[in-house]
Amino acid sequence: MIKNYLKIALKVLGRRKFFTFISLFGISVTLLVLLVATALLDHVFSAQTPEVHADRMLGVYQLTMRGPDDSENSHPGYGFLDRYVRPMAKLPNVERVALVTETRTVVSYLNGRKIQSAMRRADGEFWRVLAFDFVEGEPFTVADNEGGRFVAVISETARERFFGGSPAVGQTIEADGQRFRVVGVVRDVPVLRYASAADLWVPITTAKTSAYKEEWLGAFTALILARNSADLPQIKAEFQSRLRDAEHHLPDPKTFTTLIAGADTLPEGAARIFLPGEQVANPGGRMRAALLALMLGFMLLPTINLVNINLSRILDRASEIGVRRAFGASARTLVGQFLIENLVLTLIGAAIGLVLAAGVLRAFNVSGILPNTHLQLNLRIFADGLGIAVFFGLFSGVYPAWRMSKLHPVEALRGRSA
Amino acid sequence: MTRHLLKLVWNRKRSNALMILEICVSFLVVFGVATLGLFFLDNYRRPLGYQWQSTWNVAIGMGRSDAEPSGDSTAQQATLARLLREVRSLGPVVAAAGSWVLPFEQGGWSSRYQFKGRSLDMDADRATVGFDQAMGLDLVAGRWFEEADAALVEEPIVINRTLARAVYGAEDPVGKRFADERPGERPFRVVGVISDFRKKGELMPNGNFIFHFASMDHPEGKPPRNLLIRVRPGTTVAFEEALVKRMQAVAPEWSFEVRPLAQVRATSFRFLLTPLIVAGTLAFFLLLMVGLGLIGVLWQNLLQRTREIGLRRAAGASRVAVHRQVLLEQLVLTSLGVLLGTLLVVQIPVLDLIGVLSNRVFASGLLFAMITMYLISILCALYPSSLASRVQPAEALRYE
Amino acid sequence: MINLQQVSKLYRTDRVETTALDNINLEIGKGEFISIMGPSGCGKSTLLNLIGLLDEPSSGSVALDGKAIDRYGDRDLSRVRNERIGFVFQQFHLVSDLSVVDNVEIPLLYRRMSNGERRRAALAALDRVGLSSRIHHFPTQLSGGQQQRVAIARAIVGRPGILLADEPTGNLDSQMGDEIMGILEDLNANEKTTIVMVTHDPRLAEKTHRTIRLFDGRQVQ
Repeated sequence: MIKNYLKIALKVLGRRKFFTFISLFGISVTLLVLLVATALLDHVFSAQTPEVHADRMLGVYQLTMRGPDDSENSHPGYGFLDRYVRPMAKLPNVERVALVTETRTVVSYLNGRKIQSAMRRADGEFWRVLAFDFVEGEPFTVADNEGGRFVAVISETARERFFGGSPAVGQTIEADGQRFRVVGVVRDVPVLRYASAADLWVPITTAKTSAYKEEWLGAFTALILARNSADLPQIKAEFQSRLRDAEHHLPDPKTFTTLIAGADTLPEGAARIFLPGEQVANPGGRMRAALLALMLGFMLLPTINLVNINLSRILDRASEIGVRRAFGASARTLVGQFLIENLVLTLIGAAIGLVLAAGVLRAFNVSGILPNTHLQLNLRIFADGLGIAVFFGLFSGVYPAWRMSKLHPVEALRGRSA
Repeated sequence: MTRHLLKLVWNRKRSNALMILEICVSFLVVFGVATLGLFFLDNYRRPLGYQWQSTWNVAIGMGRSDAEPSGDSTAQQATLARLLREVRSLGPVVAAAGSWVLPFEQGGWSSRYQFKGRSLDMDADRATVGFDQAMGLDLVAGRWFEEADAALVEEPIVINRTLARAVYGAEDPVGKRFADERPGERPFRVVGVISDFRKKGELMPNGNFIFHFASMDHPEGKPPRNLLIRVRPGTTVAFEEALVKRMQAVAPEWSFEVRPLAQVRATSFRFLLTPLIVAGTLAFFLLLMVGLGLIGVLWQNLLQRTREIGLRRAAGASRVAVHRQVLLEQLVLTSLGVLLGTLLVVQIPVLDLIGVLSNRVFASGLLFAMITMYLISILCALYPSSLASRVQPAEALRYE
Repeated sequence: MINLQQVSKLYRTDRVETTALDNINLEIGKGEFISIMGPSGCGKSTLLNLIGLLDEPSSGSVALDGKAIDRYGDRDLSRVRNERIGFVFQQFHLVSDLSVVDNVEIPLLYRRMSNGERRRAALAALDRVGLSSRIHHFPTQLSGGQQQRVAIARAIVGRPGILLADEPTGNLDSQMGDEIMGILEDLNANEKTTIVMVTHDPRLAEKTHRTIRLFDGRQVQ
């Protein structure tokens, strides 16, 4: 039965080539855009180097201090994280906790050339929470950080800029007026990996002053690695209870009385950073809702367009439908046939969209609009695309199918008189 | 004829509803993208009020975040004063000053003051002596701050022309009090008026702007985190390296990041224009999709109306008349879609949803979207209508 | 008034060439009521289309008031059709999305006149066929006879001198058919309208002044 349906569908699509073409054009362009967007999201949030443990990693990315009149919102400071988050490493379900700063652009001058690099300061644990690909040397250690040693891990791009690509371990670089000995070189991290990407990583203790140690708000992030992804809810709850405790020890209790923060997964963290509103109760849910709204908003016009074309296609076949109904085909059979036909069309469109998306992503990677970003299609994205396509196909087929089932056999046979 | 077509379109409303909806949504898409583009264009054509071409920014990292209460701001202030003296003494430097905010950055500082009960919003900055020269500001009345201003009983301010007009109308603002009294605060007095200072850059609108005075003698709150240095044209990166070395020697605990304002401006442009470019590209493909769809649907509609067209031909409609009628019918449909869209869109100024949108930009966006939709509609109707005009009446009316 | 000389019409498809009309000579005088008879497919409708300037002959000439129309362009032909000729079809060909009065107004849309004049003319034409009470109905709400009366009103609304009717009673029962025939006879007698009617029905043909018989595209007798 299904096979028969498919055959009919393909035949019908081949008969009206122009309609098939414009339908396919619309579907494939829509799917292309959605696939590229999905690839971008997948790239940012999925478990990839160095966030291979993204599924059991939480981060404290944002902290809001609020009082009766004032409200300050920023990355957390070292002082707050060191007192209330770092000790969470002792919890039985937490493997380790790392502290790392946001990136900061630092400038180096080399033989009359200016080099701008994104630098992070990190502790030794950072290298064990995240799994960087070392092409040379090794990470600096907990002892390096505690001893305030001027050592650095650099990216391949930084090695290219500073040393023309030749081996860098043991060499010295100058950045922001300080000199560091290179101990390791890692593969580039895409810039959209907001918890890890940088060109230079150096120990926290090499900061020019120690003022950061007292800060509640600052430029730091804590990364918490759980032993098991099932423990995440428990760790989140534990973080909230420590946050409540911290509220009793605020540095300026007259101005600020409340703390708002969360131990977030990567998508939740991004939602907390990018979505407006400082108090985000359920950042992950809001992110999903926002993305879904965006997707539906974008699909609105293509859907109306496809529904319109589908209706025309059906009315074009009004007399054929009339004949079929006159010979006893039920409305349900015809609707089923039409929906399958539309689904086949959508899937063909999706396949074309997939090929186009692969091309666009390749062009995007080559263009270097986002440095170190290599977007790829993978099975996950393919599955998402398939889901979107099926949804699109059914969605755009329902109204025309309903109109079709309402088509009166006699009127359909007569066609619409002039 | 138009009345006849209106009736025809109305009576066929069920089959036309989707097309009208499609045109309406496309209209909204075009309006959104066009208005954003026109908004930038409209802003871009106005004078900026300062010169960025040979000015550098030095962002100073003081090792503390803004949020922390500053205990040692006096010491920082002293270091900054030394730093400014050192920088000004260097050969290629024409002028140097400190500023709280950085031109072309989108964030910022804004204040609201009361004027006889009426409140005015304004963007604000706190800048040192010499900022007018470092930025090439255009003073139209009065003067810029002087170091002696710190001793004044009233706090000196410099405002832009837009703000001067809003507060004083045609009167000369220089020497006048500014804003209603604020209990426990020094009153403001205007010492100078500049033509403008569009802090967010060429692409963003100009509003009210107020400069407060950052004195090196009387530290008021936190010291500025940005130096703005005007260098002689043609100064190279070699001087940049030397500059950083000298600053590092004066303040070893601080970090310095030198960027020409041209670079800050480019980053800011990219930040603002990328969404427009992405939206524009998407809109282009959406419209292409809609256009092709319209051709198909129109074609199909006319195919179904072959007999009606044949009848009209028999009743004396020439080919041209049929051609014109189809186009006119499409125009009626487009007008309905556009009207629906316009009704939705005028809610923006009516409800004041987007404050920064001027009526002119809004109206041009509306006009642009209308013209685009009519053009697309006509373009898409041309082929189907020419097919329709070629219908052979004898064949169309033949008994089947 | 209308003069056909040695008119032939061929239809060509990829493989076959069919002769629809073969060497027809016909003179129709002003005020005449002529019927055309013949079996299905003998070219009756083709002949009517040629008389009505809806189609061009493959050879021969069609003249209206002594002027050959083969040099007329589309615009002139359309004007002549609009001002001089009215059509009535077996399937009525009413526009289903327009009300009765709007259907009747159609020929007047292609003339320069005000909406008010158009409306008055349409109402007068509907009155002429006895349908004044149904002007805001839609075609699907009318009986076949009523639909055909609307079609006749549409054909005469522009006061053409010539009315061409292609089996106007073919889709109607005999009582309704007689009604329609009555209207046509009345138009011919009182308005001096020239009428050419294609019909199968010898009873109706007898009522006309003259009958032309076609067989396989040729005029017989």
